[in-house]
Amino acid sequence: MSEVIAETENIVKMGKNLGADEVIAKTIFGRYRQTRFSNNQVDISAAWNDYVTDVMLTWKRRLVATEIRNFQNVEESVKRLFSLAKASKENPTYGGVARGKFSYQKSRADKAVGNLENPAEYVFEAIEAARNEAGPNINAGGILFSSLENVYLVSSEGPIGEDTRSAIELSIRAFSEREASGHGVECSSTLNNFDPARAGRKAGEIAKQARNPKPGIEGQYDVIFDPLFVGSLLGMWGRMTSAFSVMIQLSVFVNKLGQKVASETVTLRDNPAAYSMGNRVFDDEGVPARENVLIGKGVLKTYLHNTSTAKKFQTETTGNAGIVVPTPWNLELDAGSMNREEMFREVKHGLYLTNTWYTRFQNWAKGDFSTIPRDGIFLVEGGEIKQSWKDVRISDNALRMLNNIAGISKERQPVHWWIEARPPSLSPYILMKDVQITRPK
Amino acid sequence: MDKDIVDFALKHAMEKKVSYAEARAHSINHEELVVKNGVLDAYASLVDSGFCVRVLVDGGIGFASTNKWERDEAKAIVEIAYKYAKMAKRKDKISFAEEKSVKSNWEVLEKQKIEDVSPETRIDTMMDLDKALTTQGIHVAARMLGLETDLTEKYFTNTEGSVISSYVPRIYAGGFLTVIENGKPEQSYKAFGSSGGWEALEAWNLTEQMINEAKILQKVIKEAKPVKPGKTDLLCGPEVTGIAAHESCGHPMEADRILGREMSQAGRSFIYPNGSYWLGTKIGSSAVTIIDDPAVKNSYGYYAYDDEGIKARPRYLYKEGVINELLHNRETAAKLNTRSNGSSRAIKYDREAIVRMANTFVQPGEMNEEEIFEDVKRGVYMRSFTEWNIDDKRFNQRYVGREAFAIKNGEITNMVARPVIETTTQIFWSAVDAVSKKVEFDAATCGKGDPMQGAPVYTGGPIIRLREVYVK
Repeated sequence: MSEVIAETENIVKMGKNLGADEVIAKTIFGRYRQTRFSNNQVDISAAWNDYVTDVMLTWKRRLVATEIRNFQNVEESVKRLFSLAKASKENPTYGGVARGKFSYQKSRADKAVGNLENPAEYVFEAIEAARNEAGPNINAGGILFSSLENVYLVSSEGPIGEDTRSAIELSIRAFSEREASGHGVECSSTLNNFDPARAGRKAGEIAKQARNPKPGIEGQYDVIFDPLFVGSLLGMWGRMTSAFSVMIQLSVFVNKLGQKVASETVTLRDNPAAYSMGNRVFDDEGVPARENVLIGKGVLKTYLHNTSTAKKFQTETTGNAGIVVPTPWNLELDAGSMNREEMFREVKHGLYLTNTWYTRFQNWAKGDFSTIPRDGIFLVEGGEIKQSWKDVRISDNALRMLNNIAGISKERQPVHWWIEARPPSLSPYILMKDVQITRPK
Repeated sequence: MDKDIVDFALKHAMEKKVSYAEARAHSINHEELVVKNGVLDAYASLVDSGFCVRVLVDGGIGFASTNKWERDEAKAIVEIAYKYAKMAKRKDKISFAEEKSVKSNWEVLEKQKIEDVSPETRIDTMMDLDKALTTQGIHVAARMLGLETDLTEKYFTNTEGSVISSYVPRIYAGGFLTVIENGKPEQSYKAFGSSGGWEALEAWNLTEQMINEAKILQKVIKEAKPVKPGKTDLLCGPEVTGIAAHESCGHPMEADRILGREMSQAGRSFIYPNGSYWLGTKIGSSAVTIIDDPAVKNSYGYYAYDDEGIKARPRYLYKEGVINELLHNRETAAKLNTRSNGSSRAIKYDREAIVRMANTFVQPGEMNEEEIFEDVKRGVYMRSFTEWNIDDKRFNQRYVGREAFAIKNGEITNMVARPVIETTTQIFWSAVDAVSKKVEFDAATCGKGDPMQGAPVYTGGPIIRLREVYVK
């Protein structure tokens, strides 16, 4: 047993000795590094080290939580937390945490991610790749981010485990003109598969095509979504499968288990696999994290659960705790049968949208929302890009769009970007019918 | 908070060849509870405390932070920040605009200290609110009610001799409601926030306001009629005025965005040097003056000095319809040959301070409410909004009404269902021909930065009247 596990277990014992019913302590030593750049130059490089133990404790169905960062006063912190539980109120719907011993897959994290000697080199490599695609006058900005977390979890109910989680991403947006840009991302859990130039090339390629954009035209279009855009859509749909979202109606999937919610081509999974930035071997209760089919051939199969929400829905946990909010780790849309070129050939008069931001709902339960495409927005005619557009918005419905997916590409790409394309995902190109496009008047 | 360690970190940085260095510590005592559909889901209480250093070396910036309050750790973060700053190898060197050193110790006072409010009182407040919402004869099918308090102690010191200590208590409450009538759902999120003590809760009339919100949603389902698309007069209530001021004035006036520093995340700006829109360009009617002022008393976005030690003051962003003054930190000010106006904020010790808004609002005018409505023959009054967004150059925006009414011959008549204005910044602010007297504020959390830094702000303004804009 490692020293940290012993210290983490000690916190659990302190809570139990005070009279708590359940205690889970999770210690994370995180090393996070980021280089931000713009105008083709590094603006700032940052390093932050975080040492924290998250503690949840229940007493007579009262759930309280804290984060311990000052390890000089651990006992005091646990005592205070237990007092808080006593002052708190019973949650009659609380269904407990996972019990028993579990065995976990071995973490395949890459510790080298935590020791990048010169992260700026990756940035320069990506900028150079964008420049090679779009010419010497591009203006590129973005981030390189890496994290290495050592995670130690002990639960009074049995689970005990160690995990190492590594992630590295490069996000680059390149401008070939003031209003012509492209965005590329490169996301991985290991340095082996990490190729910053790939993101730079993609950003440069789109930026080049996006030159001289014309104002878009309102209407209903067949749309090819780039994997980066699909990452945002998957995040939107995936978060709506959390049982927490369902309970407060932040979801179009309320009361739709077992029902058709998407076209038959759609199989959406949550899979915290080793390749992903969302990799993990257990959830926040110590339940083995696993692959779950959320939507199978268009039918809603399950919500995402922790033990407590699963009990409320009379099912089993899916290994997605969040103690309070079950959450997706890494969304995967199953590959389809088309390649990218075939997908373009299908489009007689439509659009190719490469990225989006600012997705906001007017009604989550109904699914009415809008989002603003950015970077390359292209008019496609006869299967070919004919014109670069700007200033359009998708004003549509989340459920309608799921049902209008007409094609999914064979190619898929790990995607994650800022707060927009999250959680991490494995995203293909998708072809969607009849998407509503609006523009300012 | 051990200020000696923070001073030690700065001293260690000064021993290196730095052009500038600062050390900043935050200690945030945070309490939060969530009541979901009538039950207390969880109560969290924690102290998030740590410190950072930022150094400027050979025109590059390095930043490092830790939550381990030890001298060895302080040395270690200085070393890595120094190494990272040198790694930048910039062609155009970053510099900071010159500022005088400051010594200050400031705080926001609490009439009723937040730390004296027991967990039981906090829980009862939100449980009672939930109960009130469910006993009005309205089917509020889903409720998520949250209450948060942050007691933030900060300490800032830099190589120029500034030493600033501060204490700001903040309180925030929010409610997400789903009302269902005849199988039709309507939803809203309403937020409340202040700096100061527990007394804020009383000032908000939280229960009354949330009940009113539920009633509005019920009325929307039962009574609201679609809008006939076309050009019409549009009156925006303070909530809508405020979000428009924040999104299409505050954000595009952030100098770091203008200079491209946020280009791959929050984007750039339609305002930039040598562009169609720059300082002195007309962007709205002469009725439009938009101010960002950190000094609004007890506001959610209040501060006296920013996180670079610059004294806060009001910034007149758009003045009588003209682009007037950008929001600056020391880095952007140096780049554009001006002085910082105190707009640099970090939400935690482990985040770089970046250019942020504080409290952004439209300056009040002369008209009372009756006057502003009375000569509207046909129009829409959008009192509050639901869905909204804006493009990343902050020009193409959309606001969808939550509580909205038709206006006929100066009178408010029937409710209208989700009217939409989707227009440009230039069209929106140029269409304003009248502004009412009374300013109201709403609390919001402004998102920017990578990693994301959600900053407490106010948005606000009076009722404004737009003539002949397209509403659908």
